[in-house]
Amino acid sequence: MKRTCRLRLLGWVSLLTVGFAASHRAAAQVIDSIPPWIAAQRTIAIDERLATDAGLRVGDRVVLSPEPGNAIGDTVRIGAIVKGRADPSEVARSEYRVRMHLDHLQRLLAYGDRVDRFAMATTGSSASDSVLHAVNAVAFGFRAYPSRDIAVGTSKTFLVVSRFHRAIGMITIVASATFLLCIMLLKVDERRRDVAAMRLMGISRATVVRTVMLESSFVALLGSVVGVGLGFVVSAFVNAHYQTVYRTPLRFAIITPGTVAYAVLLSLVLGIGAGALAARRLARTPPLTLFGR
Amino acid sequence: MTATPLLSVRDAERDYPHSGEPVHAVRGVSLEIARGEYIAIVGPSGCGKSTLLNLLGAIDRPTSGTVTIAGTAVSGLPDREATRFRLENIGFVFQRFYLLPVLTARENVELPMAEAKIAAAERRSRALELLGYVGLAEREDHRPSELSGGEQQRVAIARALANRPAVLLADEPTGELDARTGADVIALFDRLNRDGMTIVVVTHDEKLAGAARRVVHMLDGRVVRDEPLLRRA
Amino acid sequence: MRLHLAALSLKRHASRTLLAMLGVAVSAAMLLDMVMLATGMRESFASLLSSNGFTIRVSPRGTLPFDSEATIGQADAAALAMRAVPGVTDVAPVLGTTIHVLGRPEPVTAFALGIDPAVQGDYQLLEGRDPTAADAVVASDALLRAAAARIGDTLDIAVGFDPQLRTYSGRRRLVVSGRARFTYLSADDRAAALSLGTVQAMGGGDRADRVSLFMVRTAPNVDPELARAAIERAVPRVTALSTAGAIAEAEKRLSYFRQLAFILGAVSLVVGFLLVTTIVTVSVNERIGEIAIMRAIGVSRAHVVQQIVIEGIALSLAGAAAGLVLGVFTAHYLNSILRGFPGLPDAIDFFLLQPPSALRALGLLVASGIAAGIYPSWRAASLPISTTLREEAVG
Repeated sequence: MKRTCRLRLLGWVSLLTVGFAASHRAAAQVIDSIPPWIAAQRTIAIDERLATDAGLRVGDRVVLSPEPGNAIGDTVRIGAIVKGRADPSEVARSEYRVRMHLDHLQRLLAYGDRVDRFAMATTGSSASDSVLHAVNAVAFGFRAYPSRDIAVGTSKTFLVVSRFHRAIGMITIVASATFLLCIMLLKVDERRRDVAAMRLMGISRATVVRTVMLESSFVALLGSVVGVGLGFVVSAFVNAHYQTVYRTPLRFAIITPGTVAYAVLLSLVLGIGAGALAARRLARTPPLTLFGR
Repeated sequence: MTATPLLSVRDAERDYPHSGEPVHAVRGVSLEIARGEYIAIVGPSGCGKSTLLNLLGAIDRPTSGTVTIAGTAVSGLPDREATRFRLENIGFVFQRFYLLPVLTARENVELPMAEAKIAAAERRSRALELLGYVGLAEREDHRPSELSGGEQQRVAIARALANRPAVLLADEPTGELDARTGADVIALFDRLNRDGMTIVVVTHDEKLAGAARRVVHMLDGRVVRDEPLLRRA
Repeated sequence: MRLHLAALSLKRHASRTLLAMLGVAVSAAMLLDMVMLATGMRESFASLLSSNGFTIRVSPRGTLPFDSEATIGQADAAALAMRAVPGVTDVAPVLGTTIHVLGRPEPVTAFALGIDPAVQGDYQLLEGRDPTAADAVVASDALLRAAAARIGDTLDIAVGFDPQLRTYSGRRRLVVSGRARFTYLSADDRAAALSLGTVQAMGGGDRADRVSLFMVRTAPNVDPELARAAIERAVPRVTALSTAGAIAEAEKRLSYFRQLAFILGAVSLVVGFLLVTTIVTVSVNERIGEIAIMRAIGVSRAHVVQQIVIEGIALSLAGAAAGLVLGVFTAHYLNSILRGFPGLPDAIDFFLLQPPSALRALGLLVASGIAAGIYPSWRAASLPISTTLREEAVG
């Protein structure tokens, strides 16, 4: 597997294995009896998954080491437990995150006066543009990028997933349309004798078609409403399930007004269209043929 | 009648539930039919004649009483055995022919024989023989939609004869036919009876009733008259 | 006669039958695709990991191979300890790094692996020789294209780059000795392999006696799990992962696709079942009179049911066959989308057609077609004959 992670030093740090195992047997040591003069030691913040898996609490002391499996390092106190981020790139990765003071990590890793990058907040988008240009004009050995460009660059995985979902969605729509047409034709066909009797009584084709279409529109509308309700229920379940599985606050399924409108419109078009097709076919058949003569 | 009757009905009753108050379609009917007889059951609509025919054909079971055919008490048979009995002993002809529209005339006639597990070659030859008997040998490959009403009814009669039944039961066989084609069917029944077939027809058709040897009159679920018919030679 | 009758009944409403078959085909295609998705990743990943015969991967403790920048120190001692574990036949060290190919209009950056050519399992040589010499390098086609180089060319390669000073460190001149396909990388990746010692030397103190990963081969009669546990006991600063363990880790990360596959597969099966049920029910309802007639002339209930079930089976079988073809095409399309994941090795496919699984899935669909036909036909065959005939006459 290709390496994908980099150390990020932004004043706080994401460290993967510094002194901690990814397994439940955390390499952390909790030191209970500490001389008072050590009480004023550095603090770190850990994420809640690490706290849960390693059984750590605020106030516990642990050892941070730059070497995997090495118990020799800096003794620190857990100052805070941080809630997980809703970051898609962290889903399915069993990494733990530790936040330290920059100078502490630099010293621990013998990194010197170095960082991987700076993050800059500005007063607004126009200010961002001018800051960007200014930084790049004077930068020596580094470059400034707008955050959205970084997001796009690191989103390739999600673009692939998005395309995949769209493809599955298209296939599902085609499949649904086929099923719908099939079942509408069958159900309307069941009414052939009723339609034949109506036609023999003198009721016009147009009236027959309108009657059948009214019924299919009602069914399509009712189906859409039920479908939207079902969609909400299923998405709630999906979010609850994956948030538990991946231990993240990320929402995996989001239903927007646009999504609802699209789904309802599509199902109405398909349902009414299938009903219209079936009704026209039936209305065009001579009544006596419908009676089977 | 001294010989054992082929069909025997004793005190048969058939009730249908209807909004709490049962409908007595057949009330205490007793009837005996000997082998080789040709009987017409007549009466106004709703008198129970078709219901009686269904009881005779083991298509329906009496609410009380017994129906015996060729020594077998069919009224007490479980469905599977009653079905088998019908297949081997009873030929049924309906008012609306009820041929399977997807099968040809010959295949329709073969259907009961296939169910009786007759070999294909023998089925085919017997089907052609029967179609010849009813005068439709040249129409063997035609589907019902390609046959006239009279022709369809004759194919239905051939089908009813497929497994050499002991008795032929017919429910309004000329009901959907015009006078000329109806006469053809009447003539066919006459010929069958002269060839030894026991026939029971239910009919409104006076000509068909007139062709029978014995007429049973029904009214309100009861047999009110049962008399031989004197026919012109 | 029953088969003949079933065929004729289906032909009677040809367009309806065709549409129903299409519906079943779409259902079958989706079911097949989901089965392929559920098993594909696992099987192709397992195949990838087993392709070179290495059964255990050893990485810095608490990490997965190349999952972080961490390296294993005292690598020589670790390798020695692992070789002493009973059942271990080969230990292949791998050190990953970034290299910069200089002397071009723009420096070309690539991923490089320091390996022992005698036991390496990271690439397949396509042309030329392994980098046995200290100054040799084997490159991927993508790197050779980017660097406009061929076998025999000398490249100026550096492993370190200071962006502030814009200087390169750890430079060496290396000769391209061969071109290779890198097993765990995509064809578009710029990659190179050179001897471990060379990479360590170029990396200076930071990389001395360090590796990113060991790949371990075990004897055929040895349980890799036992060897794995023994390696972790022998070298406590590492995590050893057997092929089965690696697959389990990969499955955990890709569990979303398996679950999606399961859900969509189940939905496809249910929809296919409902479709066949609906068609059979409508068909039976239309032929209630015919069924009553057949019963009246002496056809048994079981035979009536058989005949109708045969229609359901025919529909399901035909649909399943068409669905197989459709499913293979859509799987190919969906696979091409998922293969766009950045950094995905060429050997990984998400959708893999495995005949036994495919047949089982389609068999399930056909079985559901059988089940779909039983209830409506049994119900119709059990209706009272006389009442049904009367109602059909009136109707």
